[in-house]
Amino acid sequence: MASLIEQQIRTRASALLAEGWIDVFVGYRQGATLLRVAPFAARTPAEADRLVWNPVCGPNLVGTLRKYAGQRAGVALKACDACTVVELLRLHQLDRERLYLIGVPCQGMVDPDRVVAVAAGRVTSLVEDGAEVLIGAGNETLRHPRAALLLAKCAGCPAAPPDLYDETLGEAPPAPPAGDRFAAVRALEALAPAERLAFWRQHFSRCTLCYACQTVCPLCFCKECALTLERDDPRRLAREPASVFAYHLMRAFHLAERCTGCDECERVCPEDIPLSLICRKLELDRLEGTSRVAALPFPAPSEVAGEVS
Amino acid sequence: MSEPFEPRLLGLLCSWCAYGGADTAGVSRLQYPPNIRIVRVMCSGRVDPLFVVRAFEQGADGVLVAGCHPGDCHYATGNVFAEQRFERFGSILDFFGIDRRRFKLAWVSASEGARFAAVVTEMTEEIRALGPLRMKAHAWQA
Repeated sequence: MASLIEQQIRTRASALLAEGWIDVFVGYRQGATLLRVAPFAARTPAEADRLVWNPVCGPNLVGTLRKYAGQRAGVALKACDACTVVELLRLHQLDRERLYLIGVPCQGMVDPDRVVAVAAGRVTSLVEDGAEVLIGAGNETLRHPRAALLLAKCAGCPAAPPDLYDETLGEAPPAPPAGDRFAAVRALEALAPAERLAFWRQHFSRCTLCYACQTVCPLCFCKECALTLERDDPRRLAREPASVFAYHLMRAFHLAERCTGCDECERVCPEDIPLSLICRKLELDRLEGTSRVAALPFPAPSEVAGEVS
Repeated sequence: MSEPFEPRLLGLLCSWCAYGGADTAGVSRLQYPPNIRIVRVMCSGRVDPLFVVRAFEQGADGVLVAGCHPGDCHYATGNVFAEQRFERFGSILDFFGIDRRRFKLAWVSASEGARFAAVVTEMTEEIRALGPLRMKAHAWQA
């Protein structure tokens, strides 16, 4: 059963493709299981019917979008994804002329892990119904408030939709649930430096240096990376703890003033290292003005054009 | 470790001012702690935070970056960039648990030998009080 938004996305994508406005439409398709979605690039109107929109469309599509930088691409964006687009436009990584941006209202995306946790058995259906989500598991259907199942990044989402879209689907969503997104960061900052060091050392001791956090990051776009060059460094290969620590520290520095808090790094981390804490810290630095570039919601790209040369 | 702790400092000094300042300190026979190892760089703006991270990674207990006073930069704006960069970098360093006092950005002109000696003395004593960072692998279990 396709939701209204899903139908609208399919209709618009296939119309845009058929009329030749765009070469490719980037959206989500159903993933390997019901609770997963994968990025999908539709190239023909027929392929547009495979696009989906459901409560687990949490991943950030913009990293995928950069692959199609040379083509005219349409994309359906949540407000947070749109912030990533604004940031990439600011850094001259995307060409606004080649993009067709469709704004999609978002009430916050659901965390698949939380759905699995509340469901009794294997999840067989997931339908949104206003502020609630219907989870079908086994023979019964569970009604659960959406707010309790949200991804960590969506709880307390600050994203006012940027004024960026070519068109918007549906109604503006209700205000996201209030919450202090910086509570964990502030708690960590309140500790003594030695305790913070111990905290990170403990988490980074699990890091296998798979570089997934770097690969998935939509803002990690340098062709040659100072960190990548060292991937074959013997100490990196040996995963020497100090070297792992240095990697994460430098990754954080490289993302300062870029990170838009999509939390993709944490989502893909196979070791569940709380990388989103770093994203929140960078966001907090922007908010508190330690940083040169202002925080979310971002200024319009025209205002910042030419700032980065 | 039975020996008393001696901090190991890395100094990344701008060739035009701070390095000259260190030279002046030497020529003037000023006393300052021998804990600092000095690397000459062309400008404080040339210092990539990666250098600082690598220094900590390889066992430094503190890093000093020193350059020309604002407005005196040989390359006009290098130290301004350095200041902006390290302000943000310091915040991240602190968040990762490396005490902010372990990293210092200072302005020392070529004639300020006494100031250089004072900066190094102060920083060495501060880090002596903070204790070793123990970043290198063999000490991680401690």
